Amino acid sequence: METKRLDRGGRIDRSRPLTFTFNGKGYSGYEGDTLASALLANDVRLTARSFKYHRPRGIVGAGVEEPSTLVELMNADASGNQPATTVTLSEGLVAKSVNCWPSPGFDIGAVNQLAARFIPAGFYYKTFKWPNWHLYEPAIRKAAGLSAAPSEPPAAGQFEARYGHCDLLIAGSGPSGLMAALTSARAGLRVIIADEGCEAGGALLSRKLTIGGAPAMDWVAEVVAELVAMPNVTHLQNATVWGYREHNYLMVTERSPDNPSLLERTWRVRACHVITATGAIERGLVFGNNDRPGVMLASAVQTYVNRYGVVPGKRPVIFTNNNSAYAVAADLVAAGITIVAIIDSRDSVPEEARALVPGVEVMAGKVVTEARGGRRLRGVVVAGKTGGSARRLSCDLLTITGGWNPTVHLWSQSRSSLRYDETLSTFLPDTPAQAVSAVGAADGALALQQALRSGAEAVARLTDTELPEIPHAPDLPYAIEPIWRVETARGKSFLDLQNDVTVDDVHLALREGYSNVEHVKRYTTGGMGIDQGKTGNINIIGTVALAQGVTIDAVGTTTFRAPYTPVSFGAIGGLREETVALPYRHTPITDWNLAQGAFMYESGARWRRPGYFPKGGEGLQEATNRECRAVRFGVGVYDGSPLGTFELKGRDVGRFLDYLYSNVMSSLKPGNGRYGLMLSDDGLIIDDGVCFRLDDHRWIVSTSTGHADAINGHMEEMLQTRFPEWNVFITAVTSQWNNATICGPKAREVMEALGTDIDLSPDAFPFMSLRDGTVAGLPVRLVRVSFTGELSYEVNVAPRHMRDLWAKVMEAGQPFGILPVGSEASHVLRVEKGFLSLGHEVDGTVDAYDLGMGWSMSKKKPDYLGKRAVHIRRETGGVRRELVGVISKSDRQIPEGAPLTPGGRKEKTEGFVTACVWSVVHDRWVGLALLEGGHSRHGETAHVRLKGGEVIPVRVTVPCHYDHDGEKLRS
Amino acid sequence: MPYDVTFTRLETQALYDLKGPQAALRDWAGDALPDFPNRPNSKTETGGAALMFIGPDHWILRAELDAEDALEAALRPADAPPEISIVRVSDTLAVFRITGPDAVEVLAIACPMDLHESCFGADAASFTEAFGLRSLVTHCKGGFDIAVEQSFGPMVADYLTRITT
Amino acid sequence: MMQIPCPFCGARNESEFSFGGPVKPPRPEPEAVSDADWTAWLTQVPNPLGPVQEQWWHVRGCGTWLTIWRDTRSHDIVEGPGDGN
Repeated sequence: METKRLDRGGRIDRSRPLTFTFNGKGYSGYEGDTLASALLANDVRLTARSFKYHRPRGIVGAGVEEPSTLVELMNADASGNQPATTVTLSEGLVAKSVNCWPSPGFDIGAVNQLAARFIPAGFYYKTFKWPNWHLYEPAIRKAAGLSAAPSEPPAAGQFEARYGHCDLLIAGSGPSGLMAALTSARAGLRVIIADEGCEAGGALLSRKLTIGGAPAMDWVAEVVAELVAMPNVTHLQNATVWGYREHNYLMVTERSPDNPSLLERTWRVRACHVITATGAIERGLVFGNNDRPGVMLASAVQTYVNRYGVVPGKRPVIFTNNNSAYAVAADLVAAGITIVAIIDSRDSVPEEARALVPGVEVMAGKVVTEARGGRRLRGVVVAGKTGGSARRLSCDLLTITGGWNPTVHLWSQSRSSLRYDETLSTFLPDTPAQAVSAVGAADGALALQQALRSGAEAVARLTDTELPEIPHAPDLPYAIEPIWRVETARGKSFLDLQNDVTVDDVHLALREGYSNVEHVKRYTTGGMGIDQGKTGNINIIGTVALAQGVTIDAVGTTTFRAPYTPVSFGAIGGLREETVALPYRHTPITDWNLAQGAFMYESGARWRRPGYFPKGGEGLQEATNRECRAVRFGVGVYDGSPLGTFELKGRDVGRFLDYLYSNVMSSLKPGNGRYGLMLSDDGLIIDDGVCFRLDDHRWIVSTSTGHADAINGHMEEMLQTRFPEWNVFITAVTSQWNNATICGPKAREVMEALGTDIDLSPDAFPFMSLRDGTVAGLPVRLVRVSFTGELSYEVNVAPRHMRDLWAKVMEAGQPFGILPVGSEASHVLRVEKGFLSLGHEVDGTVDAYDLGMGWSMSKKKPDYLGKRAVHIRRETGGVRRELVGVISKSDRQIPEGAPLTPGGRKEKTEGFVTACVWSVVHDRWVGLALLEGGHSRHGETAHVRLKGGEVIPVRVTVPCHYDHDGEKLRS
Repeated sequence: MPYDVTFTRLETQALYDLKGPQAALRDWAGDALPDFPNRPNSKTETGGAALMFIGPDHWILRAELDAEDALEAALRPADAPPEISIVRVSDTLAVFRITGPDAVEVLAIACPMDLHESCFGADAASFTEAFGLRSLVTHCKGGFDIAVEQSFGPMVADYLTRITT
Repeated sequence: MMQIPCPFCGARNESEFSFGGPVKPPRPEPEAVSDADWTAWLTQVPNPLGPVQEQWWHVRGCGTWLTIWRDTRSHDIVEGPGDGN
């Protein structure tokens, strides 16, 4: 194999060779290489197959702009769709091309080239539409595929996401970014400077320029050394600023953080000011077969020669429309490479450009119409711009430059505007929409001295300080005459290499009426690849402008969106994975529950609670039945801590509660409580709960677990925005009180066994009342409420006492056969009683009357939240779905949500089953349902119709299946 | 260990939630309280008790748990006039103490607020967000205390373990 | 991620707040208006292209319900709490 490496020069370490594997073959490179530079050094030209036509492709760029060579990394580095130009070479790296099988040299999909004329833009939309796209999608995705996601998460290390704050965030550490950083850091600003490259310098890494008479990279090293020594500077390399959001909030992802245990780290930065020093990206030229391996951007050629010491071709032809190609040519000549010719589309070439390469043939006013060769470039055809005699040149490298596009992606993401600049033939930053400045090449300052000055000037304006002295930095002035496409081209002329979008595709889209550039983009997919069209988009805009006979700025750009370059999901999520992917809450007896073998799961408001406590080989149903029987016929205990609890204080609490609840609360006597519904002003039931009065001015509001936070916000909103003058204070005390709720016919006996100073007799301490005292020697607030329908004591203690209380309850209850009860049994018990559960029986359509709770809609109060809305809705008439009990006439559980239809026929539903449980009291399946006109249909048979047509007849009853008169819960 | 920090979950502390006009609170229980902080989201400390100004007409009093009975007696929450509200909330927060050279880095993972000394001084005390939760952040010697709703304690310990191991 | 000015805490990350919806006109006296007017008040929520007055609850901070004017095109907060006074 021919090596293409220069003997000296570049920023690689020839003393540290590395071995790597590409598409199954072994190669070697050096520390400091990218995968792309190492492949070129090994003369690997054919590195990829294209997305749609599977045409042979090579390496085109040298950085994030690379449109062609995407690779999948294997083993420990597993990740997909990485441009080979941004993969840092490491020992043992294993990579393969993404869009070919089995290899880019022998690619079965290449038969698509034969059918190429039949798969133009819009082909998929037009073809795969019967019966639907989803039938074809999997096969097409595979054929046109990119990498699959890695099957395993990275074995070592973790992702991190953190916040950052600064006075100034600088995106890019090229000459203008470094100048801005130096100036602002010296002025004392808190500065973050982040750059996507693995070392600072930007374009200076690829070019042979001087600053202050010394090599430019010496200046870079000095500046970086000064910056990293300053405590007010955070300097990040290998860190892309990829998103610019509202209020100067930017996303930066570091791919090799200084902390070795981290794979990647995302910074979410809030910056007072932002400087985009993001440089410029070279655009390609559009001519026939401009995608052949060996057609390469001039800036990339310059990078490979100067930075990596790699010669990408021995007989290069250069095709240009601007001055920058001449600096590249000079560097090639300096590396000992003989240039075949420079084809310059301009009729007259500036003398200062020609002067850089004396003796090299410059063919002015000419264009390349066609590249020749298949898997590697063999030659080019050169002709006049409007045709005329053609000349063939033999070459192995075609170095192209269509001019420079300032990298305005971040600028535009900030919603700041662009303007088209005729002189530079490109879009430039215009009016900022946030606190942002563009500097250097990103602002069109394409020559070095200009770039340094603009970096310093932006900071001087920002800090209102004097402009520092700018070092002397000679550079060739930039000049361009745009050429959006070669009109005499022969063969496919690609505008977007990654998505295989040609000039013909854009013309087709325009003919079919997709005349807006955003539509052209979506119809052709031009610019929608992983590279987001960094090298090709402006040529698409130019092609549209030429076809429509309008100016470039009349066409405009497509919208720039985040991310600027791809970001791994891990880096966005940071630490939030596995157990902490979602928040979770525990009560103090979680360890006890787990030790008992409880089956724990999330059961609302992020609480992890025991669902049931299986014994032996019990399943859910057996365990739940056993727990239900304990409560109905003996005694059980559950942990009711998650219920939302609020202490309200003040003179106006009574009327405040009367406004919030549909029933009257203000009439409560100290020590007593009441059940009630809270409605929103549009009549929705937003919570059900109980409210207790402690004394004249202190009250306790208890909400359902799932709505505690929402009700807290609701109460505060009403208080702060509607009644700011009312004397009410709200304090959340959910976690100040835990409770063990002892329930069942033997609950009082267990309480007595625990020992208490509170008189437990029903007369002294009736249902819906509250007492403070001690139980088992612990300070408690004892409440007689019941969510099971049984005699029930809610023993509330401070969480610090909860484990102690629980142990004492289990011990005292043991002679009575006490069992811990999970949320499954609680659900069964409340359904048997016909008690509501928001989200089951109550949705946005149901009101208190539908639930048989019209009594809760106070007639006495002139106004309360939701009153008017509920009554307006009811007055409009119409059939209501009303809450009923249902008893299954089959031995089958009815699925929650199952529809009820008239006679079980396939007709419009007349309701649905909200819950269905095995009743240990009745030894059959009982449930609740919302049924049209249900209140007048007790005793009738209704029909559940399941998917597939199965019909289950049910008897309609009152919602309460157990202890209808409430004797047990009041006992 | 990726970060040079240690974290511990502190034992329950005595906490009282105080609401109402400052003058009325001072009248009722001024003797039991440190001086009222004069800036929002700052704290004052006297004899082991800290008074944190964490919202409009809203303070948190923090002391060692040993002092809870004495504070209860001095503050008399149940007897306080309707103009003010005093509620014992000692058990509502799980407090994590994060100390070490990298404490500020760990806080930067958890918390979106700028904790730079120029914005969050030594006497700062503020509710903000940590690990997505409402959380009270203060300085402690050599680091920070973050207090979250008690039931989220195990999750925050889980997070901190992930960061520190 | 916006940065919302809280009258007590100063500028804080949007993630500390809970959105409370656009500000509607004051709630009418329910029995003093027609069904149609009441329904209109309930259901018609301002939704302009441009500045809208809206409420936010500083739920993870000091607990204040505050009002800002936010431009729906840009997220710019064109008027913070109390700026108009």
